Order: sequence, then C-alpha cells, then structure tokens
Amino acid sequence: MDVRATAVALARAGPSAPSGNLAAFAPRGRSAPVSAWLKGIAVISLQLTGLWAFNVAGVWVVNKAGLPIPGNLVGIVALYAALELGVVKLSWFEAAGSFLIRHLAFFFVPITVGLMDTGSLFATHGVGIIVTLAVSAGIGVMLAGLVSQLLLRNPGHTGGRS
Amino acid sequence: MTGSSTVAITGFGIAVTIGAYALSLLARRRYPSPLTTPVLFSTVIIIAILLAAGISFSDYKPAKGIMTFLLGPATVALAIPLYKNRQAFFLNLIPAGIGLLAGSLGTMITAGLIARLFRFGPELVSSIAIKSTTVPIAVEIAKIVHGNPTLTAVFVVTTGMIGASFGPWLMDRLGITHPVSRGLALGTIAHGQGTAQAASEGELSGAVAGVAMGLGAVCTSLAAPWVIPHLVQ
Repeated sequence: MDVRATAVALARAGPSAPSGNLAAFAPRGRSAPVSAWLKGIAVISLQLTGLWAFNVAGVWVVNKAGLPIPGNLVGIVALYAALELGVVKLSWFEAAGSFLIRHLAFFFVPITVGLMDTGSLFATHGVGIIVTLAVSAGIGVMLAGLVSQLLLRNPGHTGGRS
Repeated sequence: MTGSSTVAITGFGIAVTIGAYALSLLARRRYPSPLTTPVLFSTVIIIAILLAAGISFSDYKPAKGIMTFLLGPATVALAIPLYKNRQAFFLNLIPAGIGLLAGSLGTMITAGLIARLFRFGPELVSSIAIKSTTVPIAVEIAKIVHGNPTLTAVFVVTTGMIGASFGPWLMDRLGITHPVSRGLALGTIAHGQGTAQAASEGELSGAVAGVAMGLGAVCTSLAAPWVIPHLVQ
C-alpha cells in the first residue's frame, strides 16, 4: 500500500475513525512510516488516558461518598453522561474503548488464577459448592433470559423486537 | 525472593497469561464450546503451568497487578456501546428490568436453598447466596448479611467463570436469542466475566450486560438483607 496514502488516510481518519478499530490506526504494508505508527500509538495512549481519568474520577467519588459500589460503575455513568451532554465526543474514546471491550475477558484471567489458592475449600466442600453455583447460575440465566425475551417479544409491552 | 527473580517471575507470569489468552481465542474460534471460553480455558492452562513451574499465586500477584491495571478503564469503556445503542436500550428498559429482577432474586434464592440442601452452615449459605454480584459490591454485602467476604469473593469469581462459559451454551438450548436478553442474563448472573462474554457476542449485548451487572448488584444489595435471613434460619 502507498505509504503517503496511508499516512494521509490516517491523518484524515485521526481519532475519529468511524470503525473504532485499532487496526484503522495500524499502518498496513511493510514500508509503513514510523510517524504513522507513532501517531497511532499516541492516539491510543491519549484515549486510554481519557478512559483512565474517568475511572479514577469514579473511584474518587465512591471513596469520598463512602458508597459500597465499584468506582468503575460510577465511571461508566459519568462517561455516558458526558457523551449524552456533548461534553466529550465518541470519537475521542472509540478506538481504545472498542479494543479494551473486545478483550475485556483478558483482564479477568489473572483474577480467576487466584482460584489456585482455594484448593482446600474445594477439596472439602467442592461438590456442594460447584453444584450450588452451577444450578443457581443456570436458573438465574434462564429466568433473566426467558422472562425478558418473553416481554421483549410481546408487542403489548415494548413495541416488539428492536 | 530476590528482586531479579521477582522481575523474572512477573515477566514469566505475564507471558504465560497473554500466551494462554491468545491460545484460548484460537481454541474458541476452532472449537466453540463452553470449555474454550477465554476465562475458563486460559485460567486452567495458567494454573497448570504455574503449578508445574512451582510458582505460587502470591508470586504471580505482581503480574496480576500489572495486567489488571486496565480493568477499570476497560469497564468504563462500556459506556461507549451503551451510548451507541441507547435507543435500543431504553426501548427495552422495562422488559429488561423485570428480567433483571427475576434473574438476580431467582439466583440468590436458589443458591441459598441448594446450599442448605448440602447442609452448609449459615456463614457459607449467606456467602454463596450473593455470588452473582461483582466482587467489590459482594464483599460489602457479605459483611451486612454475616457472610465471609473472602469466601464470597471466591464464589463470585467461580460463578463468573461458570456463567460466562456455560451461560451462552444454556441460552442456545433454551432458545434465548435476543441480544438484549442474552446480555442481560450474562451481566446479571456472571457480572464482569459475563459482560466480557456478552461483549464478544455483540455490541448491544455487551452494553446491556454492563448495565445489568451494575443494576443487578444494586438489586442484590437491597434485597439480600431481607431475603437471606429467611434462607439461613
């Protein structure tokens, strides 16, 4: 791919690339200019910093107010409100945001590795715990999923499927 | 442990985690099954490798700290799909709300009742009943309902893994296909891990799951002090 065309396309797309995909910032082809890479990295870093700032603000509010909820939930509400009010633009966060969400599961992996320390609990009560957790999760998924879908598909309630 | 070996183990922990996650993405694409969902698949591989290498979880903790640094910003980013899908979301608010209530109360009550069938004591029953709430909230509720916060955290993480891996499989069999319902069920029951799974199914599902995780937690924290005493006695 033409290097100049790539650079121009990147510059034009900038942080407002509609795809919201990291790949949009990654220059294609072997001869991609270093500047295009740097620009991509800079954009992503800025967007990450923005998301991080919303998270920090959420955590701060929760600590100050002594609320028993996670700060990042407040961060979600704050970012949503800022988008709705037009204080920030979707394009400012979209590339980094969609990348993080696509790989959200990754961030839980190091946490679940902590289960390796719970061997003795599962050795003594394992069967009961697993059965309890699995059956109650199954029933919960069934209730939430079937009840909501039944109501969603009943035009009397909502105007039908979206 | 010396400083340089801490660095080496941390680097090893990060490399193993990223490698296992990348492998899980390949495995899921080739053999889609509850067993190849990223959290379950990667966790099993990583624990096996750490055990084989003689690395304990406390050795792995610095690596965990580095890798989970972006979890907060990543969760905040859920506002983006929510904003983009806000019309579909608000149109479906009432059915979703009723489903959320049914799911979070249903799972709490059934967990408590089944735990009693296994003759678990009051502390274990209380701790297990609130397992569908995201960790930071579950730990707070555990204190209120005389549960054990540490046990609760273990149950929350295990539930997330079970729900995120087998939830979509179960919903396929039950004919739950609406993206709002799938996201709602995953977020309500399997909190963050379910939300991650829902986000991989689609933007609307992920957004609904993120909100359901939050509202489900609020719902559980309001209901638990009333419901759990009846389950325990």
